[in-house]
Amino acid sequence: MRDLSLLVQMGFGALLALSVYLPLRCGQLSLATPGFYAIGGYVAALLSTRWPALSGGGASYPLTSLALELLLAALVAGAVALVLGRPVLQLRGIYLAIATIALVEILRVLNLNMAWSGGAVGIFGIPQPFDGPAGYALATGVLLALTCWLCSRLEAMRLGRAMSAIREDELAARCMGIPTADVKLIAFVLSAVIAALTGVLAAHFLNTWNARQGSFDASITTLAFVVFGGSRIWLGPVLGGLVITALPELLRPVGDLRLILFGLVILVGPILFPQGVITPEGLARIRAAVRRA
Amino acid sequence: MSTPAAPPLLALRGVSVRYGPISALQDIDLQIQQGELVALLGSNGAGKSTTLRAISRLVKPVAGLIEWRGRSLARTATERTVRLGIGHCPEGRRVLARQSVAVNLELGAYLRRDRRAIARDLQRCYERFPRLGERRSQPAGSLSGGEQQMLAIARSLMGRPRLLLLDEPSLGLAPLLVAEVMAILQQLHREGLTILLVEQNAHAALAIADRGVVLQAGSISLSGSAAELMAHPDLKDTYLGEGEPGDG
Ligand SMILES: Nc1ncnc2c1ncn2[C@@H]1O[C@H](COP(=O)(O)OP(=O)(O)OP(=O)(O)O)[C@@H](O)[C@H]1O
Ligand SMILES: [Mg+2]
Repeated sequence: MRDLSLLVQMGFGALLALSVYLPLRCGQLSLATPGFYAIGGYVAALLSTRWPALSGGGASYPLTSLALELLLAALVAGAVALVLGRPVLQLRGIYLAIATIALVEILRVLNLNMAWSGGAVGIFGIPQPFDGPAGYALATGVLLALTCWLCSRLEAMRLGRAMSAIREDELAARCMGIPTADVKLIAFVLSAVIAALTGVLAAHFLNTWNARQGSFDASITTLAFVVFGGSRIWLGPVLGGLVITALPELLRPVGDLRLILFGLVILVGPILFPQGVITPEGLARIRAAVRRA
Repeated sequence: MSTPAAPPLLALRGVSVRYGPISALQDIDLQIQQGELVALLGSNGAGKSTTLRAISRLVKPVAGLIEWRGRSLARTATERTVRLGIGHCPEGRRVLARQSVAVNLELGAYLRRDRRAIARDLQRCYERFPRLGERRSQPAGSLSGGEQQMLAIARSLMGRPRLLLLDEPSLGLAPLLVAEVMAILQQLHREGLTILLVEQNAHAALAIADRGVVLQAGSISLSGSAAELMAHPDLKDTYLGEGEPGDG
């Protein structure tokens, strides 16, 4: 079913948006998300196509193998983020953005030229753990719900407060004794893990994986999710990811105009809502209005 | 009979700091004993803030030694200095404007785990600064300049420092508020807190300090008891650069 497939892709969009959001939550504009998404996808593609033991005997790919892929992808991406994070996160603002785009590009070119990643053709025939899009929708929904839960808990946790403090004033945060470098690194690693987990599901869902999955374009698209939805509270990137992924499909009836309309939404969104569509103040106003009604 | 002298709470020995090609501090020697209130004076760009940043390890000296109770801080991270008892209240207040007064204060106690003692300190803080108590759930950005300065000081106190580094708390405040801030510092000093007070308002600072140190272009040019400095004929004109042409 087309609609369910779109729903799955919207879920991926929301997850990747949350992956961009986490470093932003402590003021770090990292565009490395597609790189870790690609890593997750390659882990899934390689394990499921090159390791026969994982496929089991049945018609569909075992869920336990999928779980193992998720675990390994999280570990690999988390470890890469841990190693790269220390030096990279010393950069600030636009310099960090450029450096992380460079990371994504380096990874893409490597994947394009390595034999084990299938080169330009990539890896295809990735086995299916689910019969149809419904299973993927469920798995994506669960992963998204868990990630949202984590992000919403963050607002009440010490770690979340430290992240907000760093975003608002890093020097003040350091004077309060917040280990700013560690907090930023934790956010970066969490961001990488979420992107990698999404990549695992996406590789199976798309049935094929190649170097184009993690590109500069994807960096910009995931950033657009957050710019549109807002980056001050987790609901913003979720909405941005869902809406902007769905938009090209929803606009299909208008034909050739759709790319122009899509561009307009991305252009006009930040002008009308400079902090994104969803802000804590806006939510508070809505809540107050609901209570009054 | 005399017991061997305890090391000073804080000692700077020959400390120099550079920002790239710019030399901000040269060969600074400064000792602070437990319980003292020392005023660090100097005109714009003299290196006052840099001295505080070096002590809290926000910048790393290129030469010299900084010792906390006889132990070198050379390998200490800023968050660790806070844990050791060095509270740095930075220049320009720097309250978190979007967060409430209460959250700002709680963040000041970020490294502490003793919830009950934190709650007690919060209560005491609202007693000491009643206006913060009244506005505890308002965003800090909505406070007046004077209230924000009080919040900045109160937030530093929430970390239970043994030494408070204060960077120009009188900056931009009306004279009445300056007096109010100084009265609070004097009170904290009486309660036993050691304070290194950076000020351009030499008169207000020396009125409550035990002694003063004057920085000029990154070096200490004058130091002495508060009374000596107050009586010094050239303090304002020569040392604080207020008599320079074009300075009104
Ligand atoms: N981040 C920086 N990068 C480069 N130079 C700096 C930096 N911070 C300070 N400086 C320079 O170092 C010198 C000392 O600066 P510092 O901020 O310590 O002075 P200050 O005494 O606190 O002055 P003020 O009263 O204006 O706050 C100045 O010449 C200043 O221009
Ligand atoms: Mg200064």
